[in-house]
Amino acid sequence: MTKYSNSGEHVGELLSGYIDGELTQQERQRVRLHCDSCADCDSTLTDLRRLRQRIGEARLSDKDRDNWRESMDDTTVKATRGIGWLLLIGGALIGVGVGVYEFIITPSTLSFIEKLIVGGVYGGMLLIFISVLRQRLIERKSDRYKDVEI
Amino acid sequence: MKTDDMRHELAQLGGGAHALATQILGNPDDAADAVHDSLEKALRTPDSYDSGKGSLKPWFLRIVRNRCIDLIRRRRPTEDRVEEISDSAMGPDKAAELADRDRVLKQALASLESEQRQIIVLRDYMDLSYAEIANVLDIASGTVMSRLHRARVALGKAYREL
Repeated sequence: MTKYSNSGEHVGELLSGYIDGELTQQERQRVRLHCDSCADCDSTLTDLRRLRQRIGEARLSDKDRDNWRESMDDTTVKATRGIGWLLLIGGALIGVGVGVYEFIITPSTLSFIEKLIVGGVYGGMLLIFISVLRQRLIERKSDRYKDVEI
Repeated sequence: MKTDDMRHELAQLGGGAHALATQILGNPDDAADAVHDSLEKALRTPDSYDSGKGSLKPWFLRIVRNRCIDLIRRRRPTEDRVEEISDSAMGPDKAAELADRDRVLKQALASLESEQRQIIVLRDYMDLSYAEIANVLDIASGTVMSRLHRARVALGKAYREL
């Protein structure tokens, strides 16, 4: 641990505390007195101030406030969309399940063969829909130019 | 704190958080992901922020830092990328001059240890107090000044050598 005194020992890390305004009144006084008589510490103090200012002025991130605001909006949209999809798919599955159950079990005037044909038509439509939906989703995910505005 | 107020403050903190994450992860893209994840987490559990214990800034930066540490544990970065940042609002000469200065500063920062880079960004870029820095980095507050001073001296030396 560095010892500090007015007798000529360098004030070291107190210089950083000084420029940051984190020292007590007594410590600030000690740094000022020391720097008045020590060219090395005075020069270091100037360098540290300059460096601090330089960092404060730098652009260490290329993302501005709007970017993060959009990012948070995106998060909300994604969350609500996810819940929406879950409800939609859950409801659709239950509806289709009940429909199929009713179609097969409930007595009707249709024969088994007729039920099979009607079931095949609806089943085929459903499969085609799922297939197209899947293809669209894959294209949407893998399309590198989807955000390009023309 | 109201969610809308929190969103507004978080949006303002995003750039600094991204700078911190970049210094930890060494890659601006991974850093953006880390900040995005942290924003999600902060908005998912806004009640975990207690304004009585301090400002939002150190609380959020702590989340960002923890997220970065998680990412490092999962996949260590293989290379540090220093990306140019352009500013279309300035004239080309001024923008180029500033970009050049920033590039040198980033190179100097990149030569420091991760802990040193973080403490410099937290103090000199994000203007956190020593107590807040101790909170974010999870270190004793009495050690902040000495660590910061060593980091600044090292950065100054690296900056002059470039």
